[in-house]
Amino acid sequence: MADIYRLILRTQLNRGRAAALVAIAAVGMLLAFAIRVTVASAERAEAAYSLVDGFGLGLLVPTTALVFASAALGDPAEDRTLVYLWLRPIPRWQITAASLAASLSIAVPFAIVPTAVMALLADGGIDLVGASLGAAAAASLAYCAIFLGFGLVVRRALVWGLTYLLIWEGFVARSGTTATRLSVLGYARTLFADLAGQSPPALASSTSVAVAAPFLIGAAAIALTTWLLRRIDVA
Amino acid sequence: MTVADSVSDAVLEVDDVSKFFGSIVALSEVSCTVGPGITALLGPNGAGKSTLLRIMCGLTPPSRGQVRILGQVPRRDLDVTRRIGLVPQQEALFDPLTALQFVELAGRLQKVHQPRAAAEAALHLVELDPGDSRPVRTYSKGMRQRVKVAQALVHSPQVVMLDEPLEGLDPRQRLRMIELFRRLADEGRTVLVSSHVLDEVEKLGSRVLVIAEGRLAATGDFHQIRELMDDRPHRLRLGADKPRALAAGLLDADAVVGAWVQGPETVIVDTVDVAAFRRAVAGIARQRGVRLHEVVALDDDLDSVFRYLVGRR
Repeated sequence: MADIYRLILRTQLNRGRAAALVAIAAVGMLLAFAIRVTVASAERAEAAYSLVDGFGLGLLVPTTALVFASAALGDPAEDRTLVYLWLRPIPRWQITAASLAASLSIAVPFAIVPTAVMALLADGGIDLVGASLGAAAAASLAYCAIFLGFGLVVRRALVWGLTYLLIWEGFVARSGTTATRLSVLGYARTLFADLAGQSPPALASSTSVAVAAPFLIGAAAIALTTWLLRRIDVA
Repeated sequence: MTVADSVSDAVLEVDDVSKFFGSIVALSEVSCTVGPGITALLGPNGAGKSTLLRIMCGLTPPSRGQVRILGQVPRRDLDVTRRIGLVPQQEALFDPLTALQFVELAGRLQKVHQPRAAAEAALHLVELDPGDSRPVRTYSKGMRQRVKVAQALVHSPQVVMLDEPLEGLDPRQRLRMIELFRRLADEGRTVLVSSHVLDEVEKLGSRVLVIAEGRLAATGDFHQIRELMDDRPHRLRLGADKPRALAAGLLDADAVVGAWVQGPETVIVDTVDVAAFRRAVAGIARQRGVRLHEVVALDDDLDSVFRYLVGRR
């Protein structure tokens, strides 16, 4: 499994992707810095919270997961190198687990840590930094697990994934309706609010559900991706 | 006639396999067996060769029928992949890796005891330098082809399937690769080579599976297949100083069913009985005062057999 992990890590992470994600993270940090220098200290914690909630959890975390996790198995399926993993005596769940681990390993420096750094730069306080880390990590797990299988079966996964993020996660799930409970962002925001000591978003689930949901979504997505790997037509 | 000498020799068994992609029939009711040694899988582009190979390896399921390798169903029995080496048609490799890293990874995933040593040996087999530090993305098509062969052999599989393995190789490399395939066959392995490069396939051996438009057009020894093609005249090229006189003499003697003068010293003839023609041609040439200096069979080769079988469908 370690061999597949290293391979996926190496093939996923190219300069173009890294540069794009670093640029997004840099924008977030610039915004955080702007909050620090322009917003009054009494309102700074609230502004920092909104920045992490909107930009970190709403944009940076899901985009990073989409870019890297959808490529983990999607790239080999598309460029037809998947055959070199598939035609080996390896249980399929190990391919899925190694790919997820590789995607999460990339999410740490490109999304999870930058989200926490944004909280720090915006002078949100140490509790907000911790809450940012926790919520970003939980959201990354769920998003990476979802986009792993998504990349395997959907062509142009990046385009469709962005559409899903913009329309469902970014718009419908923020509407405060039942849809909130069908979105990763909804659970991540609830968890973030709870960890940061803020009031939960409208129609939020309970904290215990918000903690468990990313893991359950992750487990279900891993099982589905493994099932897809077993049944896929390998080119 | 089957390619394996008997069912008990069969390493690969394809039983009534069909494959549909929507309304497109890629393979239709293909049944055959393949035993140890080299077998060529022949057919024009789009005939269904790659689809059949992919089904044989388990990469895609048949829509109908069943495939067994060494008695196991490759798509279901993961363990059988230890005994299969596949050279896929596509060029793509894991580009950031070196050839040694790529082949060693294949060895590790195949649970080879000493993957580094096995990878070095496999690269030597295909005449690549294991010490080359360049990533495979910088390799030429021929070098990538040889890396693909090395990764297929790193775990010493009993069954080796190669999809167009000679593409991109220069003539010398092709010969070396054919020698390698022959050595593998001599070791008792089952080597199935898909190709449309007929002259090279002919050098590999005479056992063929001919596939056309998704159907198995013929199986067996291509020389025997050619002999069985009684409904088609054999074509020969004759070199003579007076081709028109020779052509007229052959037609008058009913030794041929057709004759065409091609160039100042060449005549092409069709005959239904090559042996009788060969007995008669020298005498007819003498009678007509023609100096005969060449008699060459033009269609006793695999290319001709192949085109005949495909064209007949």
